[in-house]
Amino acid sequence: MALTKPDTSVRQQDTPVSTKRSAGFPLASLLLGGLALGGMLITIWMAFLYAPTDAVEGPPQRIFYLHVPVAWVGMLSFIILTICGVVYLWQRDERWDWAARASAEIGAVFLSLALITGSIWGKTTWGTWWTWDPQLTTTLILWFMFIAYLMLRSYMGRTAASARSGAVLAIIGVIDVPIIYESAVWWRTLHPPKEIGVAGALPSEVVLTLMVALVSFTLLYSFLMIQVYQLQRAQTLAERLRALVE
Amino acid sequence: MQGVNYLIAAYAVAWVGLFIYLAFIVMRIRGVRTELAAVQELVREQQEKTQN
Repeated sequence: MALTKPDTSVRQQDTPVSTKRSAGFPLASLLLGGLALGGMLITIWMAFLYAPTDAVEGPPQRIFYLHVPVAWVGMLSFIILTICGVVYLWQRDERWDWAARASAEIGAVFLSLALITGSIWGKTTWGTWWTWDPQLTTTLILWFMFIAYLMLRSYMGRTAASARSGAVLAIIGVIDVPIIYESAVWWRTLHPPKEIGVAGALPSEVVLTLMVALVSFTLLYSFLMIQVYQLQRAQTLAERLRALVE
Repeated sequence: MQGVNYLIAAYAVAWVGLFIYLAFIVMRIRGVRTELAAVQELVREQQEKTQN
């Protein structure tokens, strides 16, 4: 797999792209994949069999154990995307840009799922699929930020200018994350307020199930990050090698 | 009963969505590996031509 001659090493932004696979990733990937799968199975069991049925909302309340973790991963992805973008601007090492792109792609998927599951839950609780509530609206804005980032990166290609523009967009977009988190406190909203950490707000089984779900989905995000990062790396290498032979 | 349907719908949409995304990643990884092998072969051929 490795090329033998130095003239085939591919460089951009002073960062060489090796054709060798990173030795540490397959093991980490396997470990994270196994842990994520195990965590997901435990989460499903806890969400449906361990956690009690809500006296007011009934069975649809169990959407909470899915909706909250996917929304968390969506927001975490944008924070990671911004951190990677900032470090890229500082170090100009494109490995950070690959991580940023990977996080953006995964985040867009998870935030889409958060909006869909939230909408289904909203239909059962509020009787409507969508309402222009502050928390829903700010989440939709973050989703548009993800889409704008992915479209920008796709349009500009794998260039340094594209990476810089993406990082700047991420820095602007990340302002929305604390607004989403605090919107239920700052404004009158239909969305349930934060109940974790408030004494007596939720039964311990519910809190434990939610914590297991949050850890499991974070593990799944980490597993996906490794896969998509490797994909970004391989795509960059393929693109540059193609440019060499054309 | 309708609430249970919504619960099933939410979990089904999320899990099917995640599996589709996983399958999409696997397909892209396979595609780029195939492409890399083909392009590396081309580079090797070019190197051999240059050496000769």
